Parts: sequence; C-alpha cells; structure tokens
Amino acid sequence: MNEQYLSVFLDEAREYMESLNENMLKLEKDPEDMEIINEIFRVLHTLKGMSATMGFENMSKLCHRMENIFDDLRNEKMKITTELMDTLFAGVDAMEKMIQMMAEGKGDELDVSDLLNTYEGIIKGEMKIEEKKEEEKLETPKKEGEKSERIKEYEKIPIEIDETLLHTLEEAKKKDYNTYYVKVVLEEGTLLKSARMYMVFHKIEEMGGEVLKSIPPVEDIENEKFEREVELIVVCKIDRNKLHEAIGNISEIEKVIVREIDMESARGEIEERKVETKEEKKTVEKVEAKESSRMKRITQTIRVDIDKLDTLMNLMGELVIARSRIADTLRKYQIKEVDESLAQLSRVTLDLQNIIMKIRMVPIAFVFNRFPRMVRDLARRFNKEINLVITGQETELDRTVVDEIGEPLLHLLRNAVDHGIEPKEERIAKGKPPVGTIVLAARHEGNNVIIEVSDDGRGMDKEKILSKAIERGLIDEASAQNLPEDKIFSFVFMPGFSTKEDVSDVSGRGVGMDVVKSAIEALNGSVSLESKKDEGTKVTIRLPLTLAIIQALLVTIGDFVYAIPIVNIDSTMAASEDDVQIVENREVMVVRGEIIPIVRLKEMFGIETGKKSRNINLVIVKNGPRKYGFVVDRLLGQDDIVIKSLGKLLKDIKEFSGGAILGDGSIALILDVSNIVSNI
Amino acid sequence: MAKRVLIVDDAAFMRMLLKDIITKAGYEVVGEATNGVEAVEKYKELKPDIVTMDITMPEMNGIEAIKKIKEIDPNANIIVCSAMGQQAMVVEAIQAGAKDFIVKPFQQSRVVEALNKVSK
Repeated sequence: MNEQYLSVFLDEAREYMESLNENMLKLEKDPEDMEIINEIFRVLHTLKGMSATMGFENMSKLCHRMENIFDDLRNEKMKITTELMDTLFAGVDAMEKMIQMMAEGKGDELDVSDLLNTYEGIIKGEMKIEEKKEEEKLETPKKEGEKSERIKEYEKIPIEIDETLLHTLEEAKKKDYNTYYVKVVLEEGTLLKSARMYMVFHKIEEMGGEVLKSIPPVEDIENEKFEREVELIVVCKIDRNKLHEAIGNISEIEKVIVREIDMESARGEIEERKVETKEEKKTVEKVEAKESSRMKRITQTIRVDIDKLDTLMNLMGELVIARSRIADTLRKYQIKEVDESLAQLSRVTLDLQNIIMKIRMVPIAFVFNRFPRMVRDLARRFNKEINLVITGQETELDRTVVDEIGEPLLHLLRNAVDHGIEPKEERIAKGKPPVGTIVLAARHEGNNVIIEVSDDGRGMDKEKILSKAIERGLIDEASAQNLPEDKIFSFVFMPGFSTKEDVSDVSGRGVGMDVVKSAIEALNGSVSLESKKDEGTKVTIRLPLTLAIIQALLVTIGDFVYAIPIVNIDSTMAASEDDVQIVENREVMVVRGEIIPIVRLKEMFGIETGKKSRNINLVIVKNGPRKYGFVVDRLLGQDDIVIKSLGKLLKDIKEFSGGAILGDGSIALILDVSNIVSNI
Repeated sequence: MAKRVLIVDDAAFMRMLLKDIITKAGYEVVGEATNGVEAVEKYKELKPDIVTMDITMPEMNGIEAIKKIKEIDPNANIIVCSAMGQQAMVVEAIQAGAKDFIVKPFQQSRVVEALNKVSK
C-alpha cells in the first residue's frame, strides 16, 4: 500500500485511538452511559473499515470482535464488569501496538488469537469470570514474550549491530578485513544528494571495500529519502585513516566519522540490550517510537478541519471578486502605472487559488480502495466470476467530491455485477470469456475528472427501454422512431424507470439511476450511458475539478449578464438570422457541416427587448457529444467567477446552477447548460 | 604552475561563465570544446590536467566522452557538470570514471572546491 495513504491512515488511526482510550476510561467510571458506548462502537466500526481498506486484516478482525461486544452492550444483552473492561483495554492496547508496528512498516502481524478467542467467548456468553481469569494469566506471559521479541527485532535496524551482521563481521575479521562504522554528513544545501552519496559508495568499492549495511537503506538513498546523514557498516582492507581521507576528499562532505567496530563490545552490547529491554520496557518503547518516526520518514501531513478549508476557499473567492473590481475600476480610469502591479496581483491570486484547490485535492483511491473487496463479495454472492480492473486511482479531485462520489459509484458497480455481467454458463454460451470484466477508470480531462464504470456484460436492450419509455408516456411513438441513442439511454436516468422485472435485493437496474444522476449533478457533474446489447455498458461520469471557482464566458441577454461555464463552451460565432433554418419545427443552423439546434435564451427566460437585429451572436455549447447554439445579445469576455449557491428557496430553478458577483458588484446567473438543453 | 583546464559545454554562455570562475580560481583554461567528439580530440591534443564535462551535448554526450577519454588516459581528472534532476546521469558518469560533479546553476565555491579536490 502506498506510503502516502499509510501516513494519512496512521494519523487518523492514532486520533481514533486517543478517543477510544478516553471513552473507555469514561465508560469505566460510568458504565451505564449509552452515549459513550455508542461512540466507542462507532469508532471501532470506523477503524475496522479503515484497517480493512489498508489490508490490515488482523487489526480489522480485532476491531470487529470488539465492535460485536459493544453491539451487545448497546442492545443491553450484556453488562459491563471490571473483568470485561480489562479485556477490552487489552484489546485497545493490542490495537495501539499494531498501529505502532504499522508505522514501522511491519504491518499488523501481532498475535492476538488469544484475545480474539476471549472475545468470542464473551460474545457467546460462555465466559465465566473464573475461566477468564485463567486465560488472563495465560495471556500475560505471552504478551511479555511478544514485546521483547518485537524490540529485539526492531533493534536490528539502527546503528547497533545485530547478531547476523556481527557474525558476518567476525568472518570478515578472520580474513584480515578491517571493520568500520562510517558516518557521512553532507554539507547543507548539497544538490543531487543521491549522486553524492553514490560517490561515497563508489569510493569505498573502488578501494576494495564493501558496504554491509546502510542507514537509511540503499533504496532510500537512491530516492533521496534522507536528510544529510548516512551511516554505514563497511568492511575493507585499507586502514582507518586512509578510508577517512578518501571519503573526506569527496566534495560537499561536511563530516566523516570512521570508527573501528569492536567485536567484543558489540557482542556484549547485544546481550546488555536484551537485559535493558526487559527492565526499561516503557522507555525503550518511547525511544522506539521516536526512532521509528525518524527511520521511516513518512510523509508529513497535517489534518485540517474541512470547514476551515471551505472558509479559506470562500475568502479566496472574495479576493478574486475584489481583484476583478479593482481591475474594472482601473480600466475605467486607464491608469497605466498600475497595470504591472495589477498583473502581479492577478498572478499571485491565481497561484493562491491553485494552491488552495490543490490542498483540497485527494486521490480518488480513497474511494476506489474499498471497491475490490466489495465487488469480490458481490460476485461470490451471485456466483459470478468477475475481474475488477481499476485505473487512474491516483487521479486527484476535490475532497468534497471524493466524499460524495462513493455512493453513486457503489451503485453503478452493484448494477454492473448484478445485471451487467452474465452468469458463467450464459457467457460461455455467448462465446464470451467466462470471467467478466468490470473496469473502473478515472482520469483528468481539462478541468474535469472523468470516471468510467464499464462492464463487458449483457448490455441494455435499446428496444426495451424505448417501449418502456413509450409505455410510461415519456415520448410518443412517432418521435421515438429516430431518437438518437444517447437520448434513449438517458431515459434510464429518469426517476423510477426500470426495465428489469425481477428486482434483486442488491440493485435493480434503473431503480436508483436517477439517484446516481442527481448525486452527480449536485456536484455540478454530468453522467451519460452507452450500451450495446451483449457487449456491455459504460457509464461515464464527468466531474468538475473544483466546485468553487470556475472560468466562465460572460454574455448579456437583454439588460442582464449571464455566465456560461467555459467547460461547456465549444466555440462562439457571429451569424445572421438568415442562416437559421426550420427543420421539424425546430430552429437549427448548419455550423461547419453540423446541424445544431438553436436555443433562444431570451425567449426561454422571458426577457423583453424592443430592438431586433439581423445579426446574432451564438455561443455553441456542448453537452456530452451534442452541441447547441445559444443566442445571446453580446459577448462580454472571459472571467474567473466564484460560484455562490442560489439558496434553498430557489433550488427548483433548473436553468441556473448558481450566481456570481462580478467585478462591478453586479450579479450574474450561471447557466446550467445540461439542464437547459435536456428539454430540447 | 597553474593547472590546465579543458571546458566542454555546448552552450557558449556556460563556457564563458565557467571560464570566468576557473580563471579567477587560479587555473588556466587551455581549451574549450562544444561536444563530446571535440572534447576527445582536444584532450588528445592538449593533455589538460582537468576537464569539466557537460552531460547533454550534440554529437557525443558527456558520458560517452568520459569513457573515450578514460580509454586514452585512465588517470584523467574529469568533473561532470549536471543540471538538477540528472541524478541517474551523474551516477553513470561517476561509474564511467568522473571524479566529481557540479550542479548548474554553478556556485563559484563549489566549482573551486571540485577543481581543488580533483587536482590534489
């Protein structure tokens, strides 16, 4: 698992451990408090899910068992006793140890089988207090053993020499090799540190020496994952001063320490350490934590309340508005002198805006990670063989979007498993590979993130959808004749539209697709579907990278200014009323060989203006593969606008996705292109 | 006697800059080459004490040139000039026999340190 996720996971896990400990203590004092029990249950549940996602099975299992106990407590099937609290605390301790081990890159391979068995006993109600005490007695020495085992293992890592290495060194000594501990410190500001360190290694090898061990390990050195210091265990035939001089002679090296390794004391130290370990368990553990954080150097992260980021983004928005206003004002007075500083201000605000956007970005893997397991389980349940292929999980998008996108994706995947992929026999009969494939792919495309869920299953029956649409009165038979494919499939997203007769408990294709659509649209995204019978279905979700600031084209219609998001715009053009033709009672225009429906926003919005001109300005917008020509009065130009929600009262207005405050303080409504054209 | 230096870099500006630093440090710039092929020829001709070698150059790159020069003179003192992010190339150059490297943009002190160290 990627270290990046590990560090976030660890941060969060530690936080939960803190709250767990705190609440457990509270619970001990007040065993009847349901609120605390619920809180602990919730935390355990979250930890369970998190650990499972990261592949920490042991941890997840432990959480699960403890969760079960709290579930029973919650349902008052069980009462809290001191003994029960003790075992629960033992569980929390074990979890803490596991987290510590994870931070050291050792996974969660702590033996907790005894603890698990105890818990199972408690859940089954078999545990009697005496028995439990027995178990505890058995458990304690085991835990001790484990601890020292772990510490011993850990101490193989730092400068200290472990037994295997000592053995090698003793062998080398017998063959007249000198054994040294070498510490190299690079000068501050050294560039290409890996290459510089490589020179040290190269030098040692050139002189017939060999590096037996390095801290940090060689891979980390190669990837520049070290500060300035590297510690080495070296065997070579040359003497100490020569080695010191040779390494010291390499450029940009601030300090070299060469020390001869004394076998006797090294062996003694190993023994001593073992004793110390047992005596000063607590202290060692603390040092261990410190050391390990130095050793592993996990990406430093800081967790910030998302609300604060929202505020930051809002303030940023205000700043963008203020900048636009200043720019507007100055343009009026044409003060040349400030142009440069204004440009500078623009650049800085743009940078600031980008960085704030980036802060809010998280890899989509956060959501994707939980799917493989889910698809596997579902496939089992339906007795299907499915291969889930995930690509582009490193694609980053806004945290809010990531939080919201999980449910719709879950739904689409369920659909694909349940209705898309056929049972094995059916696939073989159709001549398809017996194992079905579901692809979950994410990628960037301009200012959008595209997420595709596709399967190679049975696809959707166009005819069936059409007849259902006619039956439901969504369309009349005549116009159904030459309805384009994407229009047909868009019926699937209508509320309550389903062609599936037998709806399973997992999903019914169609039921819920409207939920998917509205969830995506709430994120200013769009969703479309393609399908071929017996070949498969592909659902494409298009999401904006960020929700707060967008680039828009400002246009006027009558006396009002409107904003059209740049992402929706194909091109703009000037045309004449003479170019408008009527086809099937619809106004269209031929643009570069394409027939494009004309949308007169003025009429749609009911704006009255007296003057009529033969010349019209067209903004060609695209919605999926289709294009439309919006007739506007004037094109004002492109600007960054900050989207402000229209508020609850106006939420039923589909034509506008929000409003924006312009540089001159006036307000522009932002056109929701996909909703405007959906009725055309 | 001042040590003699051959500067190899395809950019005239970089050669000028290096020449300036090297001369100020009390070394003598005896020649300049603009690519690997020229570098090898000039090396044979001039037998300099030290070579500063750019990595990316037309005709023959710095690493090839280092190998060729090392064939002619296994004791050649070559300092690689690298840009940021050419870590792998630098490692290759050291394997080929370069004795030190300096990173662009050049810091005068670093260049001088490298010169002093390899000419020891």
